[in-house]
Amino acid sequence: MLASLFLIGASMTTPQMSVQTASQTIVEDSSDGMARAVNRMTGGIISYARWPNHTADSARTMCVIGTPRLTNRLVPDVPGSGTVLVRRMGAAAVIGRTDCDILFLGRTTVADRRQLIAWVRGRPVLTMTDDDAQCISGAMFCLMERGTSLSFSVNLDAIARGPLRIDPRVLSIARNDGATP
Amino acid sequence: MTGQTPERIGARTTLQKLLSRFHFGITLFAVALSGLTILLAGVTALRGYADRNIELAAQLGAYGVEPALVFNDPQAAREGIEPLTRIPGIARLRVVDDRGQPLVQWTSPTADPAPHLSRFFFPHPFAVKVERNGSTIGAVEVWGDSSTLVDYVRLGLLAGLGCLLITALGTIFLARRFEYELVKPLNEIATVAHDVRLHRRFDKRVKGLGIAELDRLGGDINALLDELQGWQGHMESEKAVLAHRASHDALTTLPNRESFDQRLAQRIAAAAAQDDRFALMFIDADNFKAANDNFGHAAGDAVLVAMSQCIKDTLGHNDFAARIGGDEFIVIVDRLHAGTATDELARRIRDCVAQPVALPGGETYRASVSVGVAVYPDDGSDATALLTAADAAMYADKLSSRSRK
Repeated sequence: MLASLFLIGASMTTPQMSVQTASQTIVEDSSDGMARAVNRMTGGIISYARWPNHTADSARTMCVIGTPRLTNRLVPDVPGSGTVLVRRMGAAAVIGRTDCDILFLGRTTVADRRQLIAWVRGRPVLTMTDDDAQCISGAMFCLMERGTSLSFSVNLDAIARGPLRIDPRVLSIARNDGATP
Repeated sequence: MTGQTPERIGARTTLQKLLSRFHFGITLFAVALSGLTILLAGVTALRGYADRNIELAAQLGAYGVEPALVFNDPQAAREGIEPLTRIPGIARLRVVDDRGQPLVQWTSPTADPAPHLSRFFFPHPFAVKVERNGSTIGAVEVWGDSSTLVDYVRLGLLAGLGCLLITALGTIFLARRFEYELVKPLNEIATVAHDVRLHRRFDKRVKGLGIAELDRLGGDINALLDELQGWQGHMESEKAVLAHRASHDALTTLPNRESFDQRLAQRIAAAAAQDDRFALMFIDADNFKAANDNFGHAAGDAVLVAMSQCIKDTLGHNDFAARIGGDEFIVIVDRLHAGTATDELARRIRDCVAQPVALPGGETYRASVSVGVAVYPDDGSDATALLTAADAAMYADKLSSRSRK
């Protein structure tokens, strides 16, 4: 009942209201420039997230589902101490586990995506995707390529729904698209 | 002598001016010293606050630009330092990443009022490192400017000028007060001294002045005036005694020949001016030489004293009697109304002299006198003529009295 209400609500809300985009990192003009930029951005986002069971330098596990569009060498570059273990797996495998702190949704089926987003709700899991430029699929952070630079958007509704705490400074640097009603 | 005094005051400075100058100097010094101290202390304190202000601004900036540095986002960095651009006293801002490459920088659009002062006070920018999970990801650098300090110094100088103005006014007021408190009593002393010197007012005294030193001075001046007054009085009486001695006969205390000559000259002048009349009466003792020889000089003196006493008793208030020789007396008879008046006077003198005189030897002696009268202006209009006429009249009387015997 609640889920269906949300779905209706999500489909009714305009993306501009809940999504903030941020013009981002200038991608260096080299072969692995994009990989570095993506790793830096994902690492930065991870560093601003606070898990309820947070300890100072606990390692986080990032489960990668599908094929990332921007890079295939996804190793988040977290500033300072803090490490991220990257695992690739299928959507079904994710639901069976409990150690996924971060979900990175690459190119995947719409059904898988929906299932995973529904599964994440209420769990302390950070969701990111690079396959949703509009950032309306329900992932918290959406990475996108804009010309020579990489940027990300924030889905505030998705963040507000979860127990995960995101540093407001990350939200504030993601500017509103200017389409506020 | 009096004309010299104001000139002297004009040439030298007055006590009031002197005090005023001293007051102004001391107050100026005090104001300048305290003003400078306050200004320096203020600048030091303000510099401390400015440093803290810039440091806080840098820290605020570091907090704001942290995600921008994490995501290497110049636009976000610009927004992160945006609140700092509204803080006064910041000349320049710069955000650098971990490799020292500037991500964004900002320079204040308002020109620095005193670039040298800024360089002196803020030679280095404040750099605050931005850290993320224990590693440095960049830095915020803030350069201060001296605008707040310049404002403070300007305000301080203005206040100093105001203080100086108040000082000047206060000095004038204090000098006036001093004039009242100090110069007035001094003037009082000077006035007394002046009065004493110029008008010989030795009875003047300096009153109580209410200032210990001046009262002592006044007391000393008063003591000096007491002494001066004593001397003056002594001299006056001495002079009077000497003058009396010079103009009077010691034996009979009648005026002597000199004072008679003076008096006669005055009387003639007065009579000539007022068309007045007076008589000159020459009185000479008969056979006085014989009395002197028979009874001694002491007896002669006694007779002369008795004779002078008779003349004094007989005369009116305005008449003038003098002893002009050994046994010769002369009288100026005033208010001559009729010729008989002198005869009456002569008769009364003769009667008086005819009374027996007790001599020192125990004997008694009856003297007799010859009297000659001359009237001004009938018998002469100058002293010599009058005296000659009176003398002649007296001799005539002497001869006739001898023939009577």
